[in-house]
Amino acid sequence: MAKTYNITVNGTTYAVEVEETGSTQGAPVSAAPAPASPSPAAPAPAAAAPAAEAAPAPVATSAPSADAYKIESPMPGTILDIKVTPGQAVAEGDVLLILEAMKMENEIVAPQAGTVDAIVAAKGSSVNAGDILISLK
Amino acid sequence: MSNSKLDILLEQKAQIALGGGSKAIETQHSKGKLTARERLEYFFDEGSFVELDVFVSHRSNNFDMPEKHAPGDGVVTGYGTVDGRLVYAFAQDFTVLGGSLGEYHAEKIVKAQNMALKMGVPIVGLNDSGGARIQEGVASLSGFGKIFKNNTISSGVIPQIAVIMGPCAGGAVYSPAIMDYVFMVDKTSQMFITGPQVIKTVTGEDISAEELGGAMTHNSKSGVAHFIGADDKDTLDQVKEVLSYLPSNNLETVPLVPTADDSNRLIPEFNEIIPENPNKAYDMYKILEGLADDGKILDVSKHYAKNIITAYIRLGGVTVGVIANQPMYAAGCLDIDASDKAARFVRRCDAFNIPLLVVEDVPGFLPGVTQETGGIIRHGAKLLYAFCEATVPKVTLILRKAYGGAYIAMCNKELGADIVLAWPSAQIAVMGAEGAANIVFRKDIKASDDPIATRQEKIAEYEEKFNNPYRAAELGYVEDIIEPSTSRQRLISAFDMLESKRESLPEKKHGNIPL
Repeated sequence: MAKTYNITVNGTTYAVEVEETGSTQGAPVSAAPAPASPSPAAPAPAAAAPAAEAAPAPVATSAPSADAYKIESPMPGTILDIKVTPGQAVAEGDVLLILEAMKMENEIVAPQAGTVDAIVAAKGSSVNAGDILISLK
Repeated sequence: MSNSKLDILLEQKAQIALGGGSKAIETQHSKGKLTARERLEYFFDEGSFVELDVFVSHRSNNFDMPEKHAPGDGVVTGYGTVDGRLVYAFAQDFTVLGGSLGEYHAEKIVKAQNMALKMGVPIVGLNDSGGARIQEGVASLSGFGKIFKNNTISSGVIPQIAVIMGPCAGGAVYSPAIMDYVFMVDKTSQMFITGPQVIKTVTGEDISAEELGGAMTHNSKSGVAHFIGADDKDTLDQVKEVLSYLPSNNLETVPLVPTADDSNRLIPEFNEIIPENPNKAYDMYKILEGLADDGKILDVSKHYAKNIITAYIRLGGVTVGVIANQPMYAAGCLDIDASDKAARFVRRCDAFNIPLLVVEDVPGFLPGVTQETGGIIRHGAKLLYAFCEATVPKVTLILRKAYGGAYIAMCNKELGADIVLAWPSAQIAVMGAEGAANIVFRKDIKASDDPIATRQEKIAEYEEKFNNPYRAAELGYVEDIIEPSTSRQRLISAFDMLESKRESLPEKKHGNIPL
């Protein structure tokens, strides 16, 4: 869950959003502390602008094979959860991962049946529209 | 009349009917394609097709043209009925000189266009052509120009539908592009300005014809085409279905299709359909299926900008054009492509007297550098413009999120919605509660001993005050807040009331929509 803090530096207030990415079952990755220097968002009065996002260091991911079907991110957002593992068989319509964007948990589903080839996007990482998230074979 | 004269006629007609000859017909079939005449025969009500300009041929003396025999000059034109209604059509015959467009080929199409316009009936163009007939030089370019001009003059007067059933390259693509709807047959049709070979020499990019201009590319990526069919017959079936929703011209009202589906049918599951958690999505198609007569939806541009749905449904037998946000895809936000798709659809409906229904759950315009530099301001403006300009009955139903500028863009009261209804789950506000509380109560939160608790408190306070439909309803921006299960009943009643709506715009040459 993202938490928002107001931090005042030399009299200027910054709205800073810190997201706890959490670690799962003893995975030694990505329990990285919130980054030390979140880029300051617009000063508070204009906080309508999205607050700075704390981008955790992405965990190691794999590259898709050349002939795999690549699924791209439909919009910029944060990978909230990955529901599948490489090699797993999926049916059309199965949820592959959850992309949080526009305060919505968007389910990215398999457009066709197959097996998971590579998971390109890391949990907790920010992605842009068109970035490859996952590939199927 | 002597028998010999009759024999000559029959012989000539038989030859014309064969087009480019049996060998060329075989080749056409081997590609999985029907011939021009087979397509027309399949498309029109049985036995209703009447051909025009049967004996027209080319008159070119250039190069080897005098020796070339071109039955019908490579195009079959005429009229017939579809579901008993008059429709004009032309079908390019790929078996005759590759369906290339020469001077008289163009003249035949132009005549059919002119007659369709005079009669006030739809025209359907079946495209299957190698492009301009090079041997006829600038005369064939002149032909294209006349067709484009006619397409434009007819725009908004009669429905114009292009069906791409083979190659359609170069200048030829612009006639379909100007028309109301573009259908493409999967795998056997391609559209591009310049083909893969030219692209390879000019930019070095390597791409297949299918990937560059195939049916799925234009249905999902470019938005040039609005429908895709599995084969010739499936595609023509879809064209007929679209025609069933449209009036024959801009002075007629939509065809009434009686239904056994009760106008007062309640939809109890609607009371539970919106998830408690506002961050969760649901499938907008389920809502539209519930509302529509017999659960039937005709989805337009289904594969393009899936965050917005543009579709025809019938409510109480009357065609209604629906514009609905799809929370299941990209959060249902408005972006460049969604704005373009929806704006075009709104104007199509308005031109042909089709009432508009907006079903809204929109978190906002998509933020991002790509969107801003891509001109979301200009593209989003089209949607606002289209709604403001539309004089057909307009009803907006707000299901959940209706935030900020996107709330206005989705046809709110001020953009001219005649009736605005909301579900109790509606959140009509400048922004979501979290963001709003952080701004409005910044000082309180800052001064608090327990900022986290205070912040939560303030979010709840804001939610109670503004994240509901009641403020908007008190101010008259929402006519009524309704029980979701009664939505079909309430919408049909609203459109019924609006049937006699009369609204006119100031006299002008035309508006200046930000294209």
